[in-house]
Amino acid sequence: MLAALGASAAAQDRLIPGPGSELTQAKCAICHEIGYVTRAPQSRAQWEEVMQVMVERGAPMTPDEIRVITDYLATYYNREGPSAAAQAASAQAAAAQAAADPVTRLLNGNACLGCHTPDKPLVGPAFRDVAAKYRGDPAAAARLAQKVRGGGQGVWGQVPMPPNPGLSDADAKLLIDWVLAQR
Amino acid sequence: MTDSTRPIDVEEAPRSARREFLAQLAGLSALAAAGGARIPEALAQAAPADPPGTVPNEAVLTQKVQGFQPHSARPLTGSIPAEMHDFDVTPTDRMYIRNNLLTPDLDASKHVLRVTGLVDKPLEFSLADLKKLPSFTTQAMLECAGSGRAGYQPKASGTPWLQTGGMGCPRWTGVSLSDVLNLAGVKPNGRHIAFSGEDFGAVPTAPKVIRSIPMAKATERHTMIAWGMNGADLPKIHGYPLRSVVPGWVGSASVKWLSGIDVLDAPFKGTYMDSSYRVPAYPVEPGQKMPPGALSTEAWVVKSIITTPRPMDRYKAGGLLVVRGSAWAGDNDIDLVEISFNEGVSWERAKLDVQRDKYAWRRFSLEAPINRVGYMTILARATDDKGNMQPIIPAWNPLGYFWNGIHRVGVLVEKA
Repeated sequence: MLAALGASAAAQDRLIPGPGSELTQAKCAICHEIGYVTRAPQSRAQWEEVMQVMVERGAPMTPDEIRVITDYLATYYNREGPSAAAQAASAQAAAAQAAADPVTRLLNGNACLGCHTPDKPLVGPAFRDVAAKYRGDPAAAARLAQKVRGGGQGVWGQVPMPPNPGLSDADAKLLIDWVLAQR
Repeated sequence: MTDSTRPIDVEEAPRSARREFLAQLAGLSALAAAGGARIPEALAQAAPADPPGTVPNEAVLTQKVQGFQPHSARPLTGSIPAEMHDFDVTPTDRMYIRNNLLTPDLDASKHVLRVTGLVDKPLEFSLADLKKLPSFTTQAMLECAGSGRAGYQPKASGTPWLQTGGMGCPRWTGVSLSDVLNLAGVKPNGRHIAFSGEDFGAVPTAPKVIRSIPMAKATERHTMIAWGMNGADLPKIHGYPLRSVVPGWVGSASVKWLSGIDVLDAPFKGTYMDSSYRVPAYPVEPGQKMPPGALSTEAWVVKSIITTPRPMDRYKAGGLLVVRGSAWAGDNDIDLVEISFNEGVSWERAKLDVQRDKYAWRRFSLEAPINRVGYMTILARATDDKGNMQPIIPAWNPLGYFWNGIHRVGVLVEKA
């Protein structure tokens, strides 16, 4: 049964690439699986309403971020389907994502940037603060890689880090090595 | 396990069912036979480390019957199809799951239920305190407002329950909410009761799920504060140690992990009252956004499911077809259930089981000789005692609530 759960989640756990898709992925995945977005295309008016409700439900977004995400959803998850221009932009975005360096790709492709920035605490600690905390701890990298994949316990505060089970060992290591190198 | 006559594209169920089937072929069948949900190794390695104070999904799902279908992991939801509901009383391992947030892991010995607001005496109850009050057991329907949402076209926003998922009728044990309210003494302007629970979300800014009901429903004898389900303690996923049970009304009024009862002079104003669980006051064109003046979802409408036969069961011509199912009608009673074997051209009256508890579903059955060969559909249509009959397709609404379209099951009849 968890096989069915994992498989269907994975299939719907990635948003269509396009302007704003990475921000949308990062913000939405903090609280719930991306399937909530992908399973029911709606009109722009409905997506605007959904975004208001998400703010009510505690989603950490600035007004600018709300605008970008609304545009993205109304374009790529519209009941009418994305326009030709949007599809072209999507192809470009997909290409840019593929061409990006591996760390950027991983950061954008997962929910990391919904809660973390390189230098300012957001919902979670800044990457450079994580690096500072674990500097000189040779076992930290392996532990943190496991944590990123399996989910956190709220070391930095009340908010636990959601799990990222889709991350391979290699990708988790790449991310953590990068994080721990931040200053 | 697909009903190919369904005019509605139900996406999730067939895919999950196929994957289950393939997983079993791959050699998990021995373990599957042991009962519960098996955690495949690949997922077990990546299993989430759940936040402190919560119950992991894995621990919840292993207690569910084989064939229970999760619809989402965050938050956890899942249900069974109608053909797995062929019981007079829904067994605990078949009861649907609908979380809005995470599953809290509560200590019953420390749990406190507070009664506050427009009362003469705000009160606090431990579980032991509540168990000193007169208690009772009743079988009562619980159904998610969005149960059956997958039936709506175009797709409506929300958990994609199977067309016959998101419901159950177990036995509940507890006290009448009215007895607790009487102890506190409701003031004359106390008109609504708001329930709040101990579940929390992924971010500290996530508001609690608070739902209120009007006093008239709150003071019905069957509206309860329950600690028991089918003769045992509530499982953690179903609200341990306490929950409200507002029978016949949308499931969200039955708040799990209940810790707060607040008496108000008006409906609670909050996101789970105002942005969810609302239906338009008049029928809208499919695809429209919610118009202003939307109504709060309260009592369920008349509904039925066919629990036998299963989709694509096979029969021999000349044999006997036994149809069984369940029917219910919110605050009303079931008056009539009819069955059609010819897509609604003609209907036969089913035999209704005796009415058990007021809010229990009504079991029905019909035996019919099978006198033709080929693919055959069985439709069930219930009518309540106020004359409300199930529609073919219910009115579309933006959040996909109250699906109560007539249920159709297809079977195959072969030559004798």
